Amino acid sequence: MDSLIAASARALAAGDALGALKRVALREDPPALALRGIAMAQLGEHPRARELLRRAARGFGAHEELARARCVVAEAEVAMAMRDLGGSPRALAAAAATLDAHADRANALQARLIAARQLLLLGRLEAARAALAPLDVHDLPPALAAVAELSAMELALRSLHIGPARAALARAQEAADRARVPALSAEVADARAALDRPAARRLFAGGEQALRLDEVAALRASNALVVDACRRGVGAGDAWRPLARRPVLFALARALAEAWPGDVDREALIAYAFNTRHPDETLRARLRVEIGRLRALVAMQAGIEATARGFALRPRDAREVVLLAPPIDGEQASLVALLSDGAAWSTSALALALDASQRTVQRALAELEAEGRVRAIGRARAQRWLAPPLAGFTTILLLPGALPIE
Amino acid sequence: MNSTTAASKQDKPETAPRTAEIVREYGPFAGATSVAGVTHDGQRVWAATGAQLVAFDPASGETTRTLDCTCDAGTAFDGTYLYQIAEARIDKIDPASGKVMSSIPAPGHGRDSGLTWAEGSLWVGQHRDRKILQIDPVSGAVLRTIESNRFVTGVTWVDGELWHATWENDESELRRVDPDSGAVLERLEMPRGANVSGLESDGADLFYCGGGGSGKVRAVRRPRAARA
Repeated sequence: MDSLIAASARALAAGDALGALKRVALREDPPALALRGIAMAQLGEHPRARELLRRAARGFGAHEELARARCVVAEAEVAMAMRDLGGSPRALAAAAATLDAHADRANALQARLIAARQLLLLGRLEAARAALAPLDVHDLPPALAAVAELSAMELALRSLHIGPARAALARAQEAADRARVPALSAEVADARAALDRPAARRLFAGGEQALRLDEVAALRASNALVVDACRRGVGAGDAWRPLARRPVLFALARALAEAWPGDVDREALIAYAFNTRHPDETLRARLRVEIGRLRALVAMQAGIEATARGFALRPRDAREVVLLAPPIDGEQASLVALLSDGAAWSTSALALALDASQRTVQRALAELEAEGRVRAIGRARAQRWLAPPLAGFTTILLLPGALPIE
Repeated sequence: MNSTTAASKQDKPETAPRTAEIVREYGPFAGATSVAGVTHDGQRVWAATGAQLVAFDPASGETTRTLDCTCDAGTAFDGTYLYQIAEARIDKIDPASGKVMSSIPAPGHGRDSGLTWAEGSLWVGQHRDRKILQIDPVSGAVLRTIESNRFVTGVTWVDGELWHATWENDESELRRVDPDSGAVLERLEMPRGANVSGLESDGADLFYCGGGGSGKVRAVRRPRAARA
């Protein structure tokens, strides 16, 4: 590299972004563009940084593929900080392969980590899991290791695997301490706080009890028959039936669980599940059909007994019945609880799950979005809704370890 | 990657590469993360590490002296003084005191990489401009321009031979070029990952090569066939 590039890189490494910029401010050659881009990113000028890095990558071209790959990684990271997730995953994968081919292991891992975090932010949890699984965080720079562990924690928490989540959090904490990046430590602390916030309420006759995520997970893992109005499902232990797409079945399950060990009147079930106060013979027939379906779904854990006036839940093997509800009442809380699975939901799927109109759901989402409690990706029909990440992990730009010109 | 092959194909009519023989590695040096220019003062090897010029004894590898001065790229020695490219200038430095005696503007305005002293002139590598400039060490006036077809990092003269180092896309070579035409006469290919940021001959059998971000200095054997 030439002398001003070296001087500029030296300033950047010492945290002097303005000093770095000053030395290459008027230069348009690819290494200078890359340095200007990284300095701009550190100064928080993300759109400008992205443009400069893109031009640097183009300038390096196929001939200087290693330097170009590093620029592609830096650009992807800046794009993620801007929450612009429309970038090409293929370009990032190609960059990772190039970095591997040049034995630049740390930056190759950085590229793959960015790809995995993008998938997490997009709510594509299975793909994110597949992307994170093969990453070897040993011997990684500590800042990268911390981000990798935070991502693993996020993924584990979204699937209510509290033990692995806590273990990943502890490793993230340890790596963040080694990295000595205050912002990273703050993110770990935030993630830890999320674990201790009330995540649900347990409702029982005459009262309720606030539960943390690990208490929810413990209940779900226990022998009890859990009717979960947060994630809309019914089950015990491993036998979990998601019912988000079957609102009538879920409403029946919830009504039966609420009355347990008592029974529920047919009329009341019809009014609750079918939203009508005028039961007739057709609705009574439909109730029998729906109860039959629910009975088949929970057959292993419980029976549903017909009583003189209605139906009652009869769990097997002296199981308990536990009813979980969102931490607070209301449409918004139900939405947030549903989104806490980390997956990307369409408005129509949310409306279906909550048995509410799309208009109502849209209104509630708009209010939540304004408060920063949900976020949207995509536009129009492709729009999807997600909970914000538990770990912030996009506030810090780690950027490729070695500068593009090294 | 295709153009790399294309470049090698272009070079083929000139000469086929041979593998460089690395004799010894020095460093990384305390407090330094990279090495840019290198020079040889008859006994010691000097390496530019950004904020310090480090002198070491090539026999023992021990650091014998350090000078605090800005050193971003090429380094040279004229028998009395060190010359060092720093940002966009060339500093003339007293190796005894570390004092900067005088400075001239670098001919590439900061696009300069390698530096060497020969025949009363300074020879400056222009990195991405793929050139070597001969300049007047007092005024900085450009006396001659030699074109290369690869990025120029280090530059050195030995026994009337002009050598320059190149480092492009993680591949490095030492190349002997015709000082008049710039034609490549001989090529020594460095192993992958051993990239060359600076180059200096010890006047005899060895080249010393700055190892960039590796923070090392590598001694490479000068090929026998090259010595007339």
